[in-house]
Amino acid sequence: MTLHRRLVDWSLAGLLVLLPALVLKASLARGTASGMDTAFLRITAPLEAGVSWVVEGVGGLWNHYVWLVGVESENRELRDENDKLRKQLAATTRKAFDVEALEDLAVVKRRTPADTMGARVIGAPLSPQFRVIRIRLDRGEGDVAPGMPVITGTGPVGRVDRVYGGYADVTLMSDVSSSIEVLIPRTGGRGMLTGLGKPDSYACTIGWLEKQANPTSKVEIGDEIVTSGLGASFPPGLVVGKVSKISRDDGMFQRVEVEPAVDVSRVRAVEVLLAPPPPPDPDAKTKKRSEPAFGGKPL
Amino acid sequence: MRTATLVLVAYFSCVIVGAVWRLMPWAIHDAVPDLGALTAAYLGLTARRNVTPAVGGSVLLGYFVDLISGSPPGLMALVLGLTCVIARAIQQRIYVRGTTMAIAFSAFVALVAGLVAFIVRGSYHVATASMAVELRNLALVAVATGAVGPIVWRMFRRIDAAYARTARERDAALEGLAP
Repeated sequence: MTLHRRLVDWSLAGLLVLLPALVLKASLARGTASGMDTAFLRITAPLEAGVSWVVEGVGGLWNHYVWLVGVESENRELRDENDKLRKQLAATTRKAFDVEALEDLAVVKRRTPADTMGARVIGAPLSPQFRVIRIRLDRGEGDVAPGMPVITGTGPVGRVDRVYGGYADVTLMSDVSSSIEVLIPRTGGRGMLTGLGKPDSYACTIGWLEKQANPTSKVEIGDEIVTSGLGASFPPGLVVGKVSKISRDDGMFQRVEVEPAVDVSRVRAVEVLLAPPPPPDPDAKTKKRSEPAFGGKPL
Repeated sequence: MRTATLVLVAYFSCVIVGAVWRLMPWAIHDAVPDLGALTAAYLGLTARRNVTPAVGGSVLLGYFVDLISGSPPGLMALVLGLTCVIARAIQQRIYVRGTTMAIAFSAFVALVAGLVAFIVRGSYHVATASMAVELRNLALVAVATGAVGPIVWRMFRRIDAAYARTARERDAALEGLAP
């Protein structure tokens, strides 16, 4: 190799080294990718993406099916943590359910003028013959007596049957021995709601529902049924349920089936009405002069 | 043609390493082998009479590495060009043969390339990390490059052997004798 050719060779090599120096300076000054960089990247990026896809696939196989060091212990830890979280979730759900029931009771208590006592449901009905739930009374033992109505925020539940200490059995309104005076507000018809004692539902029936003279006041499916207040047990106006079936219609009376408003299977807390609400004051609207607080009356 | 093949193979290797290395466990993903520097050094060491193709190939590979790694275009091209020139300068004084020598020389090449890159970045006012971090990275890269060096060296020699015109040239290439 002659000196001349060697000089040319090294000069070209020097230029080739100088070229990236200039490119670097230009790219740093510009701050963004040049058109050539973008074009090269457009060509090479799919290749890199393809290689990355293949490598990740192989890596995934390796990690998921071959390299399983520590997976067992990690699984055990995760299972323990999962168990712990499940327990926490169950406890939280239970608490939320209780809080919801208590909030419901608080609303009932505020709305009900009568004296009431809160109670928690501690036993579900087990016998198909007797539709009874057992409740634990919140306070006092002597205040609750058999026959007292038991309600929730959505409507009546039944009546107290037996009381023993701080506990009581409540005969549900779906029990055959239960009877509640009811009224259909739309038609004005009255009747006695009794339980059907069905094993698969809490359905009730009104055997002799009075029909009014007006033919348009015939009971229809979906009609709302409320307590009438007669019998001085349940306060009037409590929604009992809705007519679900009309099983007989013989001129003067109708026989209907009622779907209760209260889902007894979900009831967790109830209110026992200790005393009937006070009767309405007949002189409520008349103005009365109040008695002087001190001193004698003027002659 | 030989240089183009080496550059293309090195480029594909860089792409594969880029895809594979981020999946590596522990701190290995910080220790990326400097395949570009190894290729540039190999091109410089095995440059025949003309040095231009080796430097050109190194610069082109450096540009590709810039595009893959996201460094400013021209940075690695300049670094690999200079690495190739340095390798060409020591061509007559060094003979890479055997696994130990290949590991040591590969680590040395990574150190030199890292040093050159540091100087270039400094001279172009490209942001650098603290000295401790730079030294740690340099050490990790040197170790990783040393670890993969023998494989890369063998692969390049096989490519050289494939381009040999005679059996003697082929044997020489496989032995690592500079042409």
